Amino acid sequence: MSPPSSPADPVLLVHAYLDGELDPAHALEIERQLAADPALAAEHKRIVALRSLIQEKLPREAPPANLLRRIEAAIGAPQAPTRFASLSSHPISSHPTWRALAASVLLALFLGSGSTWLILRPAPAPTSTTADLVLASHLRALMAPQPIDVASSDRHTVKPWFNGRIPEAPRVVDLTNDGFALVGGRIDVIGRVPVPTLVYRIRQHLISLTAVPASDAATLGTARRAIAGYNTLGWTDNGVAYWAVSDVAAPDLDAFAKAFRLGTPEP
Amino acid sequence: MTLGSEDDQARFRSVVLPHLADAYALARWLTGDRADAEDVVQEACLRAFRGIGGFAGVNSRAWVLTIVRHAAYTWLGKNRSSALVMVDDLEAVERQQASGGTPSQAAPETPEAALIAKTDAARLEAAIAELPVPFRETLVLRDVQGLDYREIAEVTKVPIGTVMSRLARARQRLVASIGTDKS
Repeated sequence: MSPPSSPADPVLLVHAYLDGELDPAHALEIERQLAADPALAAEHKRIVALRSLIQEKLPREAPPANLLRRIEAAIGAPQAPTRFASLSSHPISSHPTWRALAASVLLALFLGSGSTWLILRPAPAPTSTTADLVLASHLRALMAPQPIDVASSDRHTVKPWFNGRIPEAPRVVDLTNDGFALVGGRIDVIGRVPVPTLVYRIRQHLISLTAVPASDAATLGTARRAIAGYNTLGWTDNGVAYWAVSDVAAPDLDAFAKAFRLGTPEP
Repeated sequence: MTLGSEDDQARFRSVVLPHLADAYALARWLTGDRADAEDVVQEACLRAFRGIGGFAGVNSRAWVLTIVRHAAYTWLGKNRSSALVMVDDLEAVERQQASGGTPSQAAPETPEAALIAKTDAARLEAAIAELPVPFRETLVLRDVQGLDYREIAEVTKVPIGTVMSRLARARQRLVASIGTDKS
């Protein structure tokens, strides 16, 4: 998002920055101003404190159980034994056409790129593996105007951004000292489930790290695959399957995974 | 009223019902009362059901919340018109501040982040409930329900610049209210 055309009020932009609404150029500009202006930095701290207060302390009430029955009676629908939990699907999942479109764009791009490796490879299995899906999301993101939905090097901005968009915000680790700068985050769809993806940068390469809730956590040890010139690395921690994908060399990706697993998510 | 086709009911189930919890939460924050919120959500669902054919299929949550907000405003106008009287005044104040004031000098006595973090849930809830409706709905849509600015602009029918200034002001008011309350 671009700030409004009127003289940009830095205070409003700090709010927008924390809400993940600024494009990378403006986000960088605000980060610079925050470093230079103590009053602005204090405002930044207060917003962060207020938002985490709201996230942690504000009670979240489920609608009363009879409300659904009242509504179904009002519209004359047959009473179905529906549970709220089963209704909480993400809106994206009801638009298969979008995914089909994205997939066909991807395919067209591959076919049109003059690469011959695709034709020589065996056709992909009808059920794509998670590694394939994660790679597809990574490639799709690289083609988009920007590979992220929220741009920030501050994990306290990136993590809250996921709240309200997906059921569980991912673990976000600051890996600056390990040479991996946080660029931002986005939401990918893996097998119809919206999942969080973090994007880190090392030198000029981007690494997408997707966190997929693992139903069968035990089955995945550490999975390494090279697909079409990209390296993917999957592992499982605490019931979450992590998939890192990038065009960096395998040792770099290993170092990234190691740093992420050892890193502490809290300050 | 004629009952819709089975298609409409299926559509209603997939478009509206997934957002029932969000709809109820917004209605509760706008009316300030659980029973009233239920009435508002039921009315909104009826409207949504009748209008389900007109839903273009882009953002179902924003669409549902727009209808809920509209139903809540109708309800407030009928049952508690005093809650809405101040909206016009507020807009005037907002314009004045936007044209003349320097926002960075707003909120002279603001508490430190550490003090904010210690606030208890009841005090926070009361402080949000005290916010004027336009500020309250913007804050709730953003910080409680997680809509982005574009969606909030769509739901509350104001430009994104207004969303930004209302959100900043709502947060500043909340912070000030938390800071001045010693109870």
